[in-house]
Order: sequence, then structure tokens, then C-alpha cells
Amino acid sequence: MADEQETEAEAEEFHPRGTVAILVMFVLAIIILWGSVYVILLSRGVTV
Amino acid sequence: MATREEGRGMLATYDVTKTDKRFIGAHILVAVIALSIGSLFGPLQAFQFSGVDLYPYLQPVFKSYYQGLTIHGVLNALVWTTFFITGFFTLTTILGFKRGLRYPKLNRVGFWTMVAGLVMAAIPILLDEATVLYTFYPPLQANWAFYTGLTLVVVGSWIEGYGFFFTYRAWRKENPDTRTPFIAFGGLVTMAMWQFATLGIAVEILTMLLPWSLGLIEGTDPQLARTYFWFTGHPLVYFWLLPAYVSWYGMLPKQAGGKLFSDSLARLAMWLFLLLSVPLGFHHQFVDPGIPAGWKYIHAVLTYSVFLPSMLTAFTVIASLERAARKRGGRGLFGWVRALPWSNGSVAAQLLAGILFMFGGIGGLTNASYNVNLVIHNTTWVPGHFHLTVASAATLSFMGISYWLVPWITGKPLWKPRLAVIQTWTWFIGMLIFSNAMHVLGLLGAPRRTPLGVAPYVSEEWSGHLLRVGLGGAILFVSAVMFVWIVARTTWGKERLGANEEIEVPIAESEQDPQLTPLWLDRWVPWIVGTVLLILVAYGPQLIDQIANIDLGSGQAPSIRPW
Amino acid sequence: MSAPNDAKRTLHIDPYEKNWMRISIILVIVFAAAVTVAGFALGFQVPSPEERVDPNNLTGPWENPGLRELSPGVYELYVIGNATTWQFEPRDVEIPVDSTVTIYVTSRDIQHGFKLQDTNINMQILPGQVSKLTHVFEEAGEYPYICTEYCGVGHAAMFGNLTVVEK
Repeated sequence: MADEQETEAEAEEFHPRGTVAILVMFVLAIIILWGSVYVILLSRGVTV
Repeated sequence: MATREEGRGMLATYDVTKTDKRFIGAHILVAVIALSIGSLFGPLQAFQFSGVDLYPYLQPVFKSYYQGLTIHGVLNALVWTTFFITGFFTLTTILGFKRGLRYPKLNRVGFWTMVAGLVMAAIPILLDEATVLYTFYPPLQANWAFYTGLTLVVVGSWIEGYGFFFTYRAWRKENPDTRTPFIAFGGLVTMAMWQFATLGIAVEILTMLLPWSLGLIEGTDPQLARTYFWFTGHPLVYFWLLPAYVSWYGMLPKQAGGKLFSDSLARLAMWLFLLLSVPLGFHHQFVDPGIPAGWKYIHAVLTYSVFLPSMLTAFTVIASLERAARKRGGRGLFGWVRALPWSNGSVAAQLLAGILFMFGGIGGLTNASYNVNLVIHNTTWVPGHFHLTVASAATLSFMGISYWLVPWITGKPLWKPRLAVIQTWTWFIGMLIFSNAMHVLGLLGAPRRTPLGVAPYVSEEWSGHLLRVGLGGAILFVSAVMFVWIVARTTWGKERLGANEEIEVPIAESEQDPQLTPLWLDRWVPWIVGTVLLILVAYGPQLIDQIANIDLGSGQAPSIRPW
Repeated sequence: MSAPNDAKRTLHIDPYEKNWMRISIILVIVFAAAVTVAGFALGFQVPSPEERVDPNNLTGPWENPGLRELSPGVYELYVIGNATTWQFEPRDVEIPVDSTVTIYVTSRDIQHGFKLQDTNINMQILPGQVSKLTHVFEEAGEYPYICTEYCGVGHAAMFGNLTVVEK
């Protein structure tokens, strides 16, 4: 029981900062890679 | 029968029977055999790209690059996955509910139906009578046995699904107020999604392809066939991915020494996949002539929405891992990653699968982006992409799962656990090289499904990347051989696990008591109703229109077989 | 396990995760906006239903596939995919620079693909259906068009050449 409460207290303190850091890099990768294909689309001319 | 009654008697501590283990093991055996045969052809394709064409040497047995590609696609993408997944979900059902299958015979019927279907489809493929690739677009016409075999595999998987649903119902009667255990829940949602998803391919085969291949109708409507196919084709991707998600959410945190970060959001993500997996298939048909641009746009937007539960998954899984790593003494903004148990092949495989899948997600978002799809449609970008999903997120995770599952089934220790770690890294590195080269080639305009080693239009600019495809393929092949070898040596090894070293199936607890998860995340009816409605809205009008204007004359089999 | 307490049964979401969901939704909306503007305002469009034809009896312009000049600098190009010869009809096309070409493609038999390199023209070819997209050729040079869908053993050899010449 005591152990469980300790875990709960820990849970309140846990800030997933490392997760956020990884995901921020992920979002940057998405923007750069997706954006570069979007730019290729724009560079290859309209279709109508 | 006796085993079931026994199981019921000891609800909380159901002892998995030998029969259960053998049944799950039978699925894994077929899956691994399929993978080992299918993977023989992967490098043949990749080497062909880099100028080393081994197909002429296989001439008397295997007739062409395209036959090899068909075998590779059908065995790896359809058979390895479907058998592994149904076997894995048999385990999550039994261990999640802590009870035996409600009707074990029903599941047995399902399994043997799939095996019969596999044999039936394999014969025409091996005889070069079904060199139609795994999308089998008409008017390419395969032998009728190919279509019948595929139908039986799908029907068998349905029956196995029914077996899980009946088991759930029985468990629910015994436990009216308990939240469905997550791993069992994940399996059920996936199998429910699969029932909706496969309606497309079932209708395609039963109303068009099978009667046509038997000569009962004159032809097919190629556009309608594609619409049916992609009704199934995209959710098929989620059928591959969701079992990996179940492991990432419900098992990997335990293996890493932690807990599931959010039970509620894990369930929400699974429900969203049920709701959104099917009504977005037109994003595979952006360049099809027979579908209005407006409908394509609607499906593009719907595809964007299914990106969200995957983003949710990324957070929940990484946060679960971070928490576990910090408990293990991990420090720093990124340094904690090193504190994860990388020396465990099962964990390493799934972590690396997750990393590859992040790139798969970016590519997927690109594919779904309506006009952006014009840049990469039908280019090598696409196989480059799905080797990050089905061949990494799913397959590498399944390999990781095998590293505890096979010892658990056989009661034998994993053969050379360090080699398992090396195997996962070689898969990762091989896939990075292969997939990156395929993506770049696609952007340069290289067509998919084409032996580029002999294509007359290959430009100088492509050659370095074509070599990298071959290199990546070679590394992946070595890795696949290692995997099959480890599984085989474990299975047929003489050493047995001692009485006190029995393998524990990793089932993660949740940070928060699942009983506190809102009830609406454990109710089937609203989600099923929503799924049906969304499918009707997204597909109904176009299906009605295409069926009303069906033209079976336009898709007749060519007088000469083109392969 | 304790009995569920109704008061506690609301969906609890970690604040970091909530923000992550917000970011994801914004990201997707921005991408959707970019795609929508390119598609519906700038003219980067995907094919839409054009016409149904009988692949066993291709009539009208399909009887003589190839280039037709509608007005100075404006062309129509009719292309047919053929899986008996694994060739496009026609195989070679020549146009002057700065031409606007609307390309119509269909098939005599099975499915093919039509991808005109270095442009956004990328179409699935189905027997019985006509795919159509347009491109303005502002630079002289060779533009190979490649079959991008498996169409039998000769598939890898199936391509044609559109040459844009200086005026």
C-alpha cells in the first residue's frame, strides 16, 4: 500500500520532458521532409 | 473441453495449457515459414536494381522478376503478417482475459481455413499462373484458385476473430464491471476493424474476380475493382500496425521496467483506429481517372485525421519508456534513452521499429497529401514507404515479440540472445539504407514494380541510389536469415528452461487504475455505429455511383497472357 | 481493484500530452491548408472523371492517337497504353517550347501508368476510362513518359519520349 502511494506521488512529479524533446525534433523532421516534397510539387508546374 | 472448464475454475490465475501454446505456436510456425520463403525474393529484387540479376539462374523454376515480386508481396505482406497477428491475438485474448478461448474448436476451424487458403493460393503463384502482384488489379487475370485461396485466408481470419469475440462475451458475463484488459481489448478492436475492412476485397473477389476467372461473367470493371481493393487496402496497413501498437502500449513498457503512461489514451487511440481506418481508401487512388477530385479531397482530409491517433501513440509510448528509463537511473533530456534495456533483443527490436516508423509516418503523411501525391505516386517512394510500416513497424516488432514468444511457447531459452540484438540492428541499418534510397529514387521519378536493372530510361543520376537499394537489401537478407535461424535453433534446441526460469509474458500495468478509465472508452456500440456511419458517408455515394455505372465490358482478360 | 468511482471517471490527460495533441492538430491543419491552396487556387490538381470509352473499340481521336494543335501553342495529346507490344502509342512526340499540352490517356487492354518525368503529370491508366492532366512546357529538353504500373513481362521497357524543342 505504502509502495503504491509512493508511485502515485512520483507520477505527479513526472514531467515527460525527454518525450517532448524527441517529439519536437520529430515535428521539425515532419515539417522539413514534408515541406521539401511540397516544394518539389510546386516546382514541377500546375496540372490544369 | 476439460481444459476450458479447468480454466474457468481458476479465473485470476489461468494456467495456459499446452494445447493453447501449441495452437499459438502453429500460427507462428506458418508465419515464419512464409517469411523465410518470401524473404528469399526480397534481395533478388534489390540486387536486380543494382545490376545483378539472378532471375535468369532461377529460370526453370521461377519465371520472372514479377513472379518473384508476387511471391515476396503475398508471403511477406499478407501471410507472415496475418498468421503472426492471429496467433499473437490468440495469446493476448487468453492472457488478457485470463481464461481459455470460449470455443477453441472455432478458432481451430479458422486457422485451418487460413492454411487451406494459403496452400490453394500458393499453387498457382508457384506455377506462374498468378503473376498479378499482391494487388491483383484486373484485367490481369489469375487462376481462380488464387482468388479462392485468398478468400479462404480472409474468411479464416474472420472466424478466428469471431472466436475472440465469443471469448470476450463469455468473459464479460463473468466480469460485468471490469474494464476490458488492454492487450485483449487491442486485439478485439483490431479484429473488429478487420471485419469491416475486408468487406471490400470480399465483394471484389466474390462478385467480380472469381466468377470472371471461372468464365461465368465476361469481364470486370477495373475502376470499381480498384475502389473495392483500396477499401480493404488501407485498413490492411492498420491490421499490420495495430498488433505492434498493442505490444508497444501493453507489453513494451513492462519489458522496459515501467508502466503504460495512459490507459485511457491508449484505448482512445485504438477506438479512433477502428473509426477512421476504413473511410479513407481513395488516398491510394488520387491519380485514378474514375473518381471525382472532390471525393479524393474528402478522403485526404479523413486520412489526415487518422494521423492523430498515431501521434497520440507516439507520445504515450515514448512517455511510458521515458518514465521506465528514468526509474532505471536514466538522466538528461535525451540521455535517458541509453538507460533502456537495449541489450534485450525484444526491446531493441521494438524501439528500432518505432524509430523507423516515425519516418514511415512522415512518408505516409506525404502520400496522403492529395496533390503532393502526384510527385511520388507509383514510384519507388511507395515501396520505400511501406517497408517502413509493414516491414519495420510491424515486422521488426513481430520479430521482437518472437524473441520472448518462441521461448514461452517452446519452454526453451532463446538461442544466442546477443545475436538477436545484432539481428535487430542489422534490420534497422539495412532498412535505413534501402528505404532512404527507394524514397530518393521515387522523388527522381523511378517507377515502382519495375526491374530497373533492365529499364531503358534509367538515368545516370539514379545509379548510386540503385546500388544502395542492393546494399540495403543484402543487409536485410542477412538479418532475415539470422532471425529465422535464431527462431529455428530455439525451437529445435535441446536445452529446456528450468522450473523456476519460466518465461513471463510481459503485460504492462497502467500508471492509472484502468477502472478509472471512463466507461465510454469501454463501450462497443457507439464506436461501431460511428464506424458504420462514417463508412457510409465516405464511401456510400461513390460506391452507388460506380456500381450503377458498372461496365464489365471494359475489363476483359487480354487474349494473350501478358506475363 | 476498487469499485469504480463515478466522480473520477472523466478522461484524465497529462498536460504535456494535451499540448502535443494541439500541436499535432495545428500541424495537420496547416498542411491541409497548403494542399488546399495549391489544389484549388493555384491549379495543382489530381485527375477527375473525364470520359468512358470502349477499350475494344476506341473511336474518335483515339483512332489516331498523337498530337493535335488546337490553337497556336495549345495542344491535345492522345496516348494509348498497349500491353501486347508494351508500348505507348505514340512513342515519340515533339512540341515547341512554351506549349500547353493537355494529355489524355487510356488503355487498349490492362492497367498501365503514365508518369511524365520532371512534371506533375502522373496518372493511372485504366481500360474504359480516360485520364487527363495538363502541363505547360517552359523548358526545352527530353521528357520521358514511363509506364508506372505493372503490365506484364515487357513492362520495364514501356516508355515514350516527349521532346520540347526551341522555337
